[in-house]
Order: sequence, then C-alpha cells, then structure tokens
Amino acid sequence: MDRYRISTWPPPLLDLINELGMLPGIGPRSAERLALFLAQSPAADVERLAESIRTARRGIQSCATCGALSDRQPCSLCQDPRRDLGILCVVEQPVDVLNIEKTAAFRGRYHVLGGRISPTRGVGPEDLRIPELERRLQDQPNLELIVALGSDVEGDATAIYLARRLAGRCARITRLAHGLPVGSSLEFADELTLRQAIENRRPLQ
Amino acid sequence: MHLAHLRLRNFRNYTRLDADWSPGFHVLAGANAQGKTNLLEAIYLLATLRSFRGIGGAQMIQQGQAGYFVGARIVGVEQHDARIYWSVSRRELTLDRHPVRRIADYLGVLRAVVFCSEDSQLVKGSGRIRRRFLDLILTQTRPDYLAWLQRYHAALRARNAILKGREIDPDALAGFSAELVRAGQPLMEARASLTPRLAEVARSAYERMAGGGGESLAATYEPNVRGDLAVALAQSRARDQAYRQTMAGPHRDELQLALDGRPAAQYGSEGQKRTVALALKAAQAEYLTLHHGAPPVLLIDDVMGELDRQRRGGFIPLLEQVRQARGQVFMTCTEENWPRDLGTDLVRWTVTAGSLNPS
Ligand SMILES: Nc1ncnc2c1ncn2[C@@H]1O[C@H](COP(=O)(O)OP(=O)(O)O)[C@@H](O)[C@H]1O
Ligand SMILES: [Mg+2]
Ligand SMILES: [Zn+2]
Repeated sequence: MDRYRISTWPPPLLDLINELGMLPGIGPRSAERLALFLAQSPAADVERLAESIRTARRGIQSCATCGALSDRQPCSLCQDPRRDLGILCVVEQPVDVLNIEKTAAFRGRYHVLGGRISPTRGVGPEDLRIPELERRLQDQPNLELIVALGSDVEGDATAIYLARRLAGRCARITRLAHGLPVGSSLEFADELTLRQAIENRRPLQ
Repeated sequence: MHLAHLRLRNFRNYTRLDADWSPGFHVLAGANAQGKTNLLEAIYLLATLRSFRGIGGAQMIQQGQAGYFVGARIVGVEQHDARIYWSVSRRELTLDRHPVRRIADYLGVLRAVVFCSEDSQLVKGSGRIRRRFLDLILTQTRPDYLAWLQRYHAALRARNAILKGREIDPDALAGFSAELVRAGQPLMEARASLTPRLAEVARSAYERMAGGGGESLAATYEPNVRGDLAVALAQSRARDQAYRQTMAGPHRDELQLALDGRPAAQYGSEGQKRTVALALKAAQAEYLTLHHGAPPVLLIDDVMGELDRQRRGGFIPLLEQVRQARGQVFMTCTEENWPRDLGTDLVRWTVTAGSLNPS
C-alpha cells in the first residue's frame, strides 16, 4: 500500500521528500509531512524560506582562527575585546561553543577541533585542527587550555593525547570535572551540569 | 521475582501468544520441535537482551515476518512492563512505556539463569565463554559493571585499530592505553572479588550432584595481568606491535576449572564435564539469590531429563529455595522424561506447534 501511494506522487514532490529526508532528525514520515506542507503553502512563503536557506549557506563559514561558525572573519567571539585572552576552551564541534556560551561560566575564547581521534573510524590526529591550535599557542605562549570534550573513550583519549602533545607549550591544561556522566557528550549535558564541570575543572595528567 | 504475563508476536514459531503465569514451578511438556525451547529463549531475551543460543536477533523473527515483539509484565519488589520490538531496520526497548536509553538501566528488571545443552561449552569451550559467564553475573549484581565492560571493549577496539595502522602515533596509543587501564582495572577487581565466592557455591553444588566421595571442583580466577595493568601494557608494547593487537589485559583472563587439581576440560569424563557446567549454573543462581535476597527465574531446558537421580537430587535444594521465596521455574521436558520425583505442585502445560495450553 505504501508503495502504491508513493509511486502516484508527482516526481517533483518525490524529489523534495528525498532531499528533506537527508536532514538530520528527519525520518521518512516527517519528510513526507514537510514536503506536503511546503507544496501546499503560498508560493511567496516558500520563496522566502528558500532564500533564507540560500543566504544562510552563503553567509556562514568557519572562523579561520577558532573554527566556530560565523558570518564574518574572524568571528565575533575572536574579535570581542571583553573576552579573556589568556584562556582557550578546546571543543569538538561548533555546536559545543553555543552550549558552553549558554552556561555563561566561561569568558575566554574557543578552539574547535572538528572531531576527536577515532581509530575505528579512521580519524587520526592529523584530521583534526591541531596544527591551528599549535600556531595559536606559539603566538601566545602563556595560555590556559580547557579541554572540553565528551567523556566517552574517544573524547577522553583525545584529551590525553592533547595533554601529551601540547605539554610545555601552555601555562596550564585542565579538563572538565566529571560532573558529566561517564560516556556522555557535551550536547546532552544540561546547562547546570556543564557550568559545574567548567567551574570545577581539574588539571589534565 | 516472577514473570506474570508474557506476550509474543511473530517470535519464532509463535505467531501470537498471551500467557499468564503464577509464581511456582511450570513444566512445559511436548514433543520435539514444538516451541518449548523458543519459549525459554523469549524469557531469557527479556532478562538479558540476548539469546542463549548464541545467535543474532534476526533468527528469532518468524519466517516471512518483518519483526518480532516480546513483552512482559514482571513482578518483583516493583511491577514493570517491558517490551522489545526487533526488526532488521528498527529496534525498540521500552520499560514502563519509556524508551530505554542505557542498557544498564534495564538489566536487572528480570533476572534469569538458564540451564541448557549449550552449557557444556562452559567447560569445553574457549576462555571467552567463561569470561562471558563471569561478566553476566557481574552485570546482574553490580550496577556499573556493564558500563565499564563496554568502555573497556571500546578502548580495546580503538587501541587495536591503532596497532593495525601503518604508522603508530605514540601519543594516540598512550591516550587509548590510559583509557584501557581506566576501564580494565575495575573489571579485574570485580572478577577477582566475585570468583572465590562463586567458586565456594559451585564447589558445594558439585559435591551435592556428584555425591559424597566424588571429586572436588575448584574454580579459580586466572587474571592475564597480575598487578598493575598500566605497567603490564607498557611491558607488552613490543609484543603488541609485533602481533598488531593488544596482548595483555582482562580480555584474556581465564576462569580455571579443575577437578581434584586437574583441568576439567582435559581430564574430566563427559559426565563430569556436564556436572561441572550444571554446578556453575546452579552457583550463578544461588549467588544471585544471596546477593539480591530473591531467586532469579530459572529456565531449565531438557537437562533434567538427561540426569541420573543423584545429579537431579543436587538440584533440589535450589528448587526448594525458589519455592520458599515464591520464585519461578520454567522447565521443558518430553513425555518420557517427565520429572515425577520433583514433587506434585507442578503447573503443567503442553506446547504444540507454537501454542500453549494448560494440561
Ligand atoms: N524464525 C523462525 N520462524 C518460524 N519457526 C521457527 C523459527 N525458528 C525456529 N522455528 C521453529 O521452531 C521449532 C523448534 O522450536 P524449539 O522450541 O526449539 O522446539 P522444542 O519444543 O523441541 O524445544 C521448529 O519447528 C522450528 O521450525
Ligand atoms: Mg528444545
Ligand atoms: Zn573565531
């Protein structure tokens, strides 16, 4: 019955369902619902949505310095004179920057690695933004680094890796306190837990 | 603790089953290939989320169907509603109608111990089977054990992947070694503290089953690494690199089984090996009873019928414990080996081609 229904839809609608189905968190049924909604909305509304998708994609890039998402180069966080220049928070993904900003517990700047070491998925240190981090440490030798990665095996191993590789090149390396449950990622931590993890950070190795 | 209701849909040869169970002793009788073992398999699946037949989930889906459903109401100190749906594309586990996020939060809702023909592998099989036996008991008794075990295996897979690579980054290796140590140490401690206690229960179960004057069973933990895991890993570094995998650690631990000081696998007779396996399983059940103050659900598949009176008698104290605690036993048999000597207050069922009827 499903097959019959799908095959009778006009091809442009099928295309749209397929495209929407590629988005994270959108299953086949949600994709159908969204596509049907869009196909029946006023043309002007849909044009506006299409335009804002296009604008966002064109206007957003990663900051060459910290790796966070931004509409300017360098990003507003990197340019903000009120931020503490002596402390750098190392995170996995751009979204982690937003999560830590929400806690208001951190006033320094960020460095996005773009992932973590994952030998089983073929991600090695050379695939991460570590040379960029080393360059920043070279330019500014007395930084404190807070390593704020997820507390699963790969996150913790990456933290240990950084501590070894960067030892002696910064004033202090700390990691989040384990208020974070073992094996969880920053994305799922609530604000309070994350704030406590930052405030109670402890030396790495 | 007992299983109060069981609901199966498209599970092996059960298209639909809705059955209510009281505490007590249930005998599932029937000819061969009717679905007796399948029923025990479904109950074991609810307890451990795996089959005791050592196979993947897809084989439990009824032929020609997309997925199976196994649901239950379980009555212990609290009541729980557990549901498993499994198809090739979708897997769902809910407890009291909420999706279960961490397996460790679910295990413990139903505790079960199975006695089946595959048990002889505990004696004859590789060390992995004995490690899995210890790990299951530890998972059933320590809330954080499973998390450490999963973490250890994640670290081990990652570390082995590094060792298999063309160039080994020493800092990356050090990172995953540290994780391996962090997760491995609690595993070693837990196994070391469990084994002597388990061994004592197993020794007396074996003595009961084999009769006075028989051999004595000794189960001992043989850790692959004695002492500090970090030191052992560092020492094993050259060997690891040569073999391109991690050669030291609790993934190579052994549970040694000896009869009168001689390895049971090499020197025991077939009958002795079978008794050792039974004694280990009985020890698991008794240990869980001691630990939780309530017996697990016992799933006994055929084995009773094959035993002589003496060995069967060795079971009676365990069954008596279950009876007194208002626990539950499910036992399969064919008409020929009906367990007459196990008492009269048995609830008797007949299994015929995937349906269950009181008899
Ligand atoms: N995935 C499946 N789909 C349908 N039938 C199955 C499936 N797996 C096993 N069976 C059937 O179940 C029966 C065996 O059930 P089992 O419980 O092992 O028998 P017994 O009563 O001897 O313990 C056989 O008839 C077999 O064909
Ligand atoms: Mg059978
Ligand atoms: Zn920036």
